[in-house]
Amino acid sequence: MTELLQTLLLGLLLGGVYALAASGLTLIFGVMRVINIAHGAFLILGAFVTYWLWDAFGLDPLLGVVLTTPIVFGVGWITYKLVVSPVRTAPMASTVLLTFGLALVLEGAMGEIWGNNSTAIRPSYADESFTFGGLFLPKAQVYGGLIAVVVLVLLWLVLTKTWLGRAIRAAATNPASAELVGIKVASVAALVFGIGIAAAGAGGAITGVLYPFVPGSHYQWIARLLAIVVLGGLGSLNGAVLGALMFGVAETLTSAYVSPAWATAVPYAIVFAVLLIRPQGLLGTRLREDAVAA
Amino acid sequence: MSTTAPRAAEAGTRRPWSRIKPIWVGRVLALAAAVLLVVYPMVSDDLYYQNMIILSLVFAIGASGLSIISGFAGYISLGQGAFIGLGGYTIGVLATKLPDTNVWLWVPVAGVVAALVALVLGFVSLRSRGPSFVIITVAFLFLVQVIAVNWVSLTNGTAGLTLPLPTWDRDIANWPFYYVLVGLLALQLLMTWWIRRTKLGMGLIAIREDETKAATIGINLPTQKIIAFMASALFVGMAGAVYGYYLTFIDPRGMFSILLSVQLVLSMLIGGKATLWGPVLGAFLIEWLNETANNDWGGGNARLFLFGGLLVAVVIFLPQGILPAIESAIEWARTRGKAGLVGARIGSGGSLASLTDRVELVDRAEIPDRAILEVRDLRKHFGGVRAVDGASFAVPEGSITGLIGPNGSGKTTIFNLIDDTIRADGGEIWLDGKRIDGMPSWQRAHRGLGRTFQITRLFREMTVLENVVAVQRRFTVGQLGRIAVSGAEARAADELLEYVGMRAFRDQKAHALSYGQQKLVELAQILMLDPKVILLDEPAGGINPVLIERMAEMIRELNSYGKTFLLVEHNMPFVLGLCDPVHVLARGKDMAHGTPEEIQHDPAVIDAYLGDDFVLEEKVEAPR
Repeated sequence: MTELLQTLLLGLLLGGVYALAASGLTLIFGVMRVINIAHGAFLILGAFVTYWLWDAFGLDPLLGVVLTTPIVFGVGWITYKLVVSPVRTAPMASTVLLTFGLALVLEGAMGEIWGNNSTAIRPSYADESFTFGGLFLPKAQVYGGLIAVVVLVLLWLVLTKTWLGRAIRAAATNPASAELVGIKVASVAALVFGIGIAAAGAGGAITGVLYPFVPGSHYQWIARLLAIVVLGGLGSLNGAVLGALMFGVAETLTSAYVSPAWATAVPYAIVFAVLLIRPQGLLGTRLREDAVAA
Repeated sequence: MSTTAPRAAEAGTRRPWSRIKPIWVGRVLALAAAVLLVVYPMVSDDLYYQNMIILSLVFAIGASGLSIISGFAGYISLGQGAFIGLGGYTIGVLATKLPDTNVWLWVPVAGVVAALVALVLGFVSLRSRGPSFVIITVAFLFLVQVIAVNWVSLTNGTAGLTLPLPTWDRDIANWPFYYVLVGLLALQLLMTWWIRRTKLGMGLIAIREDETKAATIGINLPTQKIIAFMASALFVGMAGAVYGYYLTFIDPRGMFSILLSVQLVLSMLIGGKATLWGPVLGAFLIEWLNETANNDWGGGNARLFLFGGLLVAVVIFLPQGILPAIESAIEWARTRGKAGLVGARIGSGGSLASLTDRVELVDRAEIPDRAILEVRDLRKHFGGVRAVDGASFAVPEGSITGLIGPNGSGKTTIFNLIDDTIRADGGEIWLDGKRIDGMPSWQRAHRGLGRTFQITRLFREMTVLENVVAVQRRFTVGQLGRIAVSGAEARAADELLEYVGMRAFRDQKAHALSYGQQKLVELAQILMLDPKVILLDEPAGGINPVLIERMAEMIRELNSYGKTFLLVEHNMPFVLGLCDPVHVLARGKDMAHGTPEEIQHDPAVIDAYLGDDFVLEEKVEAPR
């Protein structure tokens, strides 16, 4: 019983981190209809930047989120301006290929800079745990989960309570009308891309402490993140959070009770099943397809 | 350059520039490349290049197969590499489990296995399109990889499988692999070429351009897509088997690497998707770059930079690929300074009976007095908006029935429900005595329903002729194999294009036409279906008065051959001069119906739609 409770708690904490990383993916899709396959690569970039700050300057990796996030935001913003904005209105399948190419370039770049060997960030508390009532919760997971929740709440506040948030939602709902009421959709898109990437970077900073990583880990991450947003409904932030929590729990349960080898198959199986049975996901809405714009 | 239609018809090929020399330059180049390919191993024993060519051949087959689903049907797949891997694993597993059998025997088996697995992916494509499909294909690839890793009893897991070494003379070491692959590539290209010319290929391209519309002209989407997926994997599986045999060692990482799929997609995109030679050109180019990156630029990360950077660059700078870019450059040079055909005057047509013997006048007295199309209590809600709210009306056989009503009263939605562009929430639809709600669009089309769209929906990248021959009047697997771009189908399409006055434009891409011209082509397209009932959504909207008159003339003539019409229109003189009976729609239901005379004087109709000041100008205005 305690073991099950512990697995569930760990699953939820992990789910919080997943939610943070996936929120950026779903936000970018919601606003610009771009499925950012490079999202996992940006997440790993966040992990590497964190590693670098920790290794070179001794900065605590989890507090380092404060620095990592703006750095990754900058990279995301520049990336948007350079390669994504020219094809923002291209068919979605081409932007999928473009961001896939971007992921490969990032993978190669990280391999050049930090090498292809397994990298681990191990702060002093890496092996410590909180124990109470028979529960055994690693400190890094607890801190990581909490930080993820704080960043997510901040993101949610920005999206719902600020002018920028309203502009973003307006641009997501109807870009043409948003332009008419004075929102520069192109600038909003660049900001959203940066914010989305920054969320991935923050997620990467946290997961970098939890698991060792290599540049090639991004495939696993993008599979996981896509599974989450597809499950929750592409473009829906609440859906992503819900999907992430379910996913975190499902994954920890599978590796605890079935086998870690098959746990890697879970995301792919979920993507397959969801897109076939309920393509709009849990909280997504189907668009009216017959109303063709003149 | 003359632009007269008959000469274009004699040339008989699809692309305008094929009438001049570049095509021959291209053919000579292709032939020279083929000859070079065949004699190369005999004149040179440079193993580095032989190896490179063997790998290029594998990728050329893979990319060319991919072009069938991604180039023609528009379903971009990042899982194509999985079929190479599946082919490799089929031969690997069978050759190690049954060591006494000739290994080559398993090559065709591998093709069949790949095609069967592709069937699964085909079923997936029935439910998801666009980006979700791309995601699914990635998931598919990884899922296959995970299975290959974990199903150790069959695949030996990550340790991989070692195939038996070739038994033939060392002097000809690579020849069998080399020539089998050349043969497979030839078969693959032959199949691609053939598909492009058939009804199947037209249907696939129509699916790429506008899937919903494709269904309304009788294209059986599931069958076509599934056939395409199987065709796209068959020879690729065989090539994968040869590849596995050639490597003699296979493991899940290598055989199901996502980079393999990326290389195939890149090859197809760079060369030019949906072209015959583009994927082949691309495959040789990319494999050469790949080898160079591996050997001269330090491998690993350099390959990632190369593939990633190329993918980004191609999407941004060369979305159409090398061959189409060359083609449009030649076309640009050839037509520079010449007036475009698209502005030419539309032909005057003439009567359809003078053009073809497939129509004959029907005797009005013989038309049974019954409804050929009837909707009963039809309903469709969008959230809280009740767009169609219990509409019921009948279209008498042999009539030209009008459907009028204020904007937003549900006219177009009713059309959408009748042809299943959107599915009704409730109610019944009867066509020719059969209930058709519940049937998909293409079955409704096969039962005699044809429909044009208010905002024309032609297949933009297809020529005018291809737009018309893409239509499928009925469904049999046999007729999918019929040649569409020439022969009887093309002749029938020519007659209809002549009839609507658009024959001179037959080799123009549909997107180059004006709105009015598109309306005429769409009419010809629908007539190709030979429907019993024709739904026209604003046939007179946005076209000039002469054309409106011609449109009315054509409707009347077609009606005299027994075609029943239901039309939505806001041009009152047009409707009231042409239609009888007229149904008036308001708030999603039939509010009034009757003869034009009755409708004009119905107080409820005047109040809801026509307005107090409505006077139909003298009858002369009405098209007659």
